[in-house]
Amino acid sequence: MKLQLTKDKTIEIKFPSGGAKSVSDITGVELFSPGEGECPAIRLVHRKKSWHVAASGFVKPPDGELPMRWEDTPHQPAWEFPRDFASPHAALAINSPMATFAQSTADAVVQDMTTGLAAQHDERQPGGDKSSSDGKRRFGIKREQSTQLAPKPAAKQEPSARKPAFPSSGMPVSENGRRFVVRPMSEENFHLCASLPEFQTLWLSRLLPEGKRPTASSIQVAESALMASILLQPEFIAADGSALAIFARSDATYLAGYKKGEPVLWRRCPGVGGILAMRDAVRKTLGLDEELVDSVLNESLIDPRPALEPFVRPILGQLSLSLDYLTGKHGLKFDHAFLMGVDAGASHWSRYAEESLHLRLVSPNPFDGLALDKGVDAGDASRHLIALGAAIAGAEVSA
Amino acid sequence: MKASSFHLNLLRQNEVLSSSPVRLRIMLPVGATLACAGLLVWWGVLFTQIILAKTQAQGIEDDLTAKNSAHAEAIQKRDLARELKLQLEQLEYYKSGVRSIGEPLAKFAEVVPLRVQLKEMSITPPKPQVLMPPGLKVPLFGPTENVETQKLVIAGLTTKETPVVSLMESLENGFEKLVTSEHKINSFKQDNAEIDGRKLLSFEVEYTMPERRFAK
Repeated sequence: MKLQLTKDKTIEIKFPSGGAKSVSDITGVELFSPGEGECPAIRLVHRKKSWHVAASGFVKPPDGELPMRWEDTPHQPAWEFPRDFASPHAALAINSPMATFAQSTADAVVQDMTTGLAAQHDERQPGGDKSSSDGKRRFGIKREQSTQLAPKPAAKQEPSARKPAFPSSGMPVSENGRRFVVRPMSEENFHLCASLPEFQTLWLSRLLPEGKRPTASSIQVAESALMASILLQPEFIAADGSALAIFARSDATYLAGYKKGEPVLWRRCPGVGGILAMRDAVRKTLGLDEELVDSVLNESLIDPRPALEPFVRPILGQLSLSLDYLTGKHGLKFDHAFLMGVDAGASHWSRYAEESLHLRLVSPNPFDGLALDKGVDAGDASRHLIALGAAIAGAEVSA
Repeated sequence: MKASSFHLNLLRQNEVLSSSPVRLRIMLPVGATLACAGLLVWWGVLFTQIILAKTQAQGIEDDLTAKNSAHAEAIQKRDLARELKLQLEQLEYYKSGVRSIGEPLAKFAEVVPLRVQLKEMSITPPKPQVLMPPGLKVPLFGPTENVETQKLVIAGLTTKETPVVSLMESLENGFEKLVTSEHKINSFKQDNAEIDGRKLLSFEVEYTMPERRFAK
């Protein structure tokens, strides 16, 4: 709580219950998931020294759409959850075309903070220098950026006039109309950096009304939540937190590396789509209806190799590069990698990986390692991967 | 392994809202306002009590001042009364010390023989009293001694000794208020005066009078 004493002086009172630390009951929700009408939600409760899935399902999305401009933010819906998900805290994982999540150097993060929306706005102007913000030392993705400037700061400041300070780990900072948060990676000089336009963050922060369960204690970018989703996997814990993972989403595929429970690698497979692209390729190549795609991928009556292999090969190529990087740079050797988010055809992925990389792909149920309460269905777990990751990260679970 | 390494929370600490129906940001100012109001009421009560106590104290002080002067007056009057009482007591002493010698003196004329001519009857003045002893600012009211002794001196002329002896014998009975038995003949001698050709004798007898007692 902030109390304004004078015009320039405010004091901040921190209440112990306000933080996300020592959260033992949290609901993770994925918002605006592509291809999903409703929001996947999962409630994690820490009980008897273990984490339980108390509820899993889908909640009705908030009224209205995610604002794409400052002008849209006054329309603020109030979002309420069903009773099953009425935990004290909620971790929201947001799919926004204006969000960024990347593995960056400190310089690249500061550069991002310096340019922010203003530079991205300039890039879209005729004659704008697009290469300037590509970030040569930058990995991962940079999704479509907002063309909207923050109302006042961006208009007043020249991008090059002031160099913003590198933010402290885990402390969100606002620069040039965006909110940034960084976490150091296991590799020196590298950081995970997530950002979201300020107006979207504010809109999300007020989405769950005060005084009703739950209220937002964490707002994460969906990719960030995805990366945390395997932390409670028994195989991951058995490998002492060192692993290589493929995360397949509906629109993109990502590779993540972990070393002793700390992040060392995060990158998007360039030129490769997600699950939807894979299914589309299978459907078109084999001439199938949408309803038959799952059957073809899960059963062995029809070999989907001609359709699947062209999609999987580039991913395995990137996996090979990542494997070499982790082996050479960090001395990590793997005989298997995690494949997460693939509902159908995971066995084919594994076979192709064994053929080309001598690497086994394991595709565990995302709820493995968690106790399931009565009535919780683990069959649809892949669709809750991001919600699960958001809850795990939001609760700051330690295994 | 800690998930905090993967928790890239874009929500600021001050934006975290409480899910509790009891909202601290409302309850805190309300509580503070109530506390302030309580303090104000308490202060008001205290202030009123102080004002009342001050008024009461002022009243008591005024009363005390008035009573002090009255008390001083009373003390003064009491002292005066004591003084007057003492004076009265002293006067009582004198009253009891009054000599009633009128009756014996009237009777004395009857017992004086024909051959005696009294020339003088005097009572010696009492011993002077020291009413202002050294160190005393106010003189004593007296008497300083409880007993005062005086002498009655009878002087006269006679023709011979016998009438004088007769007078002295007469004084031995019935004149206790005037003289005691203790007496002294100061002189008895030939006088120059004559009567019928005969030389007269002068005499002077000193009687001790009864003690004059100053007592209640």
